[in-house]
Amino acid sequence: MTPDKRKDLLKMSAIWAFILVELAFFSIIGDRLSVSDKAFMDFENMLLLLKQSAPIGIIALGMTVIMINGNIDLSVGATFALAAIVLLESMTWPFMQTLGDWAIPLAWLFALLTGVAMGAINGLIVWKTGVDAFIVTLGAMLGFRGLVFMFNGEQPTSHLNWTLVDFAEAQFLGLHTATWFLLATALLLWLLMTKTVHGRNAYAIGNNREAAVNAGIRVGPHFLLNFMLIGFLAALSAVVFYSESGSVNPNDGMLYELWAITAVVLGGTKLAGGYGSIISTLGGVIAIQLLRKGLGHVGADTQTVNLVIGLILIAVLILDRQLNRKGQEELKI
Amino acid sequence: MNLTMKVALACTTAMIGTAAAAQSMTIGITQNNVGVDSYQTTYEQAFIAAAEANDDVEVVVLDAGGDVARQIAQMEDLIQQEVDAIIIWPTNGEAVIPAVRKASQADIPVIVTNSNIAEAGFDFVASFSGPDNITQGSRSAEIMCDKFTDMGIQDEARVVQISGQPGYTTAIERAQGFEERLPEVCPNVELVETQPGDWNREKSQQVMEAFLVKYDDIDGVYAGDDNMGVGALNAAKAAGRDGITFVGATNFAVGYEAMEAGDYWGSIYQSPVDDAEAALQTAIDTINGEDLPFLNYFDTPKITQDNMGDFTKPVF
Repeated sequence: MTPDKRKDLLKMSAIWAFILVELAFFSIIGDRLSVSDKAFMDFENMLLLLKQSAPIGIIALGMTVIMINGNIDLSVGATFALAAIVLLESMTWPFMQTLGDWAIPLAWLFALLTGVAMGAINGLIVWKTGVDAFIVTLGAMLGFRGLVFMFNGEQPTSHLNWTLVDFAEAQFLGLHTATWFLLATALLLWLLMTKTVHGRNAYAIGNNREAAVNAGIRVGPHFLLNFMLIGFLAALSAVVFYSESGSVNPNDGMLYELWAITAVVLGGTKLAGGYGSIISTLGGVIAIQLLRKGLGHVGADTQTVNLVIGLILIAVLILDRQLNRKGQEELKI
Repeated sequence: MNLTMKVALACTTAMIGTAAAAQSMTIGITQNNVGVDSYQTTYEQAFIAAAEANDDVEVVVLDAGGDVARQIAQMEDLIQQEVDAIIIWPTNGEAVIPAVRKASQADIPVIVTNSNIAEAGFDFVASFSGPDNITQGSRSAEIMCDKFTDMGIQDEARVVQISGQPGYTTAIERAQGFEERLPEVCPNVELVETQPGDWNREKSQQVMEAFLVKYDDIDGVYAGDDNMGVGALNAAKAAGRDGITFVGATNFAVGYEAMEAGDYWGSIYQSPVDDAEAALQTAIDTINGEDLPFLNYFDTPKITQDNMGDFTKPVF
């Protein structure tokens, strides 16, 4: 095995090793500190872990594609809230109420279309103006959030539908509904990124945009598609989550973009683009939820959890930098 | 599954040594957003202190950071840990209902603290512990009436009201308590007009400016909280109108300071410490199977310039 391959393997498996360390830590130390009699590594608890990873996880998986492109999307949290409002509000429309439970798939469709439309707005602006995605989506983040507040002021938008709640709380083959959506998204995106031309183009554009243009890749439409994809996934995340909770605060989803980016970076995807993996992002998402859950289990407060995640993120970036050094300072393995 | 059961069994057996030390109950709490204001910060400190003072109680203290998704995850975690009771300070009175239902299906009693969840969830809740806004409103009416009686104007006084944001239960109940109680204690005092101040000091100041132009004779101002009351006070000061009695429905630090300065007459003292201790006690009583009212209020005493020495300045 060449050193390069070995390094690649190390990078890909780092996040999973980290998850194992977390599991071991919380099982041994955690169970001693916790007031609960239940073990942390309880099977049910691990199933819950996957389920709780879903809201940010589904977004983070899409963010991986965007970041492999060398772009970023800061508007996902606002899109998430907007799609949630469409989902819950549309079910109260008079014609929808006459449909009975058939209103549910229709409401989902409306919410998902909202997400796609918001993504398309971002994508079109990036494509047609050439303005950096960071700036475009920063504007979109503020703008979409403004729409959310315009809709219902400071008040929450609510519609509790028990059929929907029962569906969202259901467990099929032991896994929760949200987990199925998370895993299916991961599988589909993994196939997209590894087995299709679109996926290979994404890496090529992220690596060297100019070279990609010269190679005949139509970068603009490619970006547009990817922004529509992440808009769709932000809405899907909202659909999965709000089916279970039935009420959205106007500030819901705030900071989700940052948690999603954190998960992607923890998974080893490069901020500059051209390198990254869907499966590693899944690892990053699980690692974050595991930390939140584990630190809660041992009785640490939320501030501590954020501090620890921040420190780990910086450690990961330093490690990544070391692994990518060439020449004299190169890390010897 | 079988293996997991065995592992779980082994772990729990290993833990009996530590767990058996106290014949205790475990109570989990998931709070709204500690650190966003000093009321919630003080609440958390008081809650932990109260739990430490009680040898029978162990607590798992969690904070949702204002995030509904995180709060629901914390509810699931507490259910999974099989705590004996869960206290929840809802981030959203409706979004948490399914999570509360999950707890009640797992036979874990849920106590809602500080602000109640929506009525659709009442079936799944053991008890609500928090302040009674109607009582706060009616006590404000009593404070105002007593002051008018002292001044000898109880038969002619005219009062205006600045209420909280329309649509909020808190605002509606505080207004209701005042409006019902005032005619009972001071039947000849007239409430001439009510306008919303939206919990906002500047808005309340504008509302009061309009009142001052409209009415030559205002003897009292009742505000949904001291923040709005102090806004009204500022308007009166700017217009040079003296002799107005200001009463709020919840004491804030700004109101306490204005009382010290002698400008503001009184309010209702709502302590985060009492709030936290009441929530813990409600949870303990629920676990012990005691009969509790569904709405289990803690006491919110009157505070005026006369007795403010008995109270420390509010932290919020």
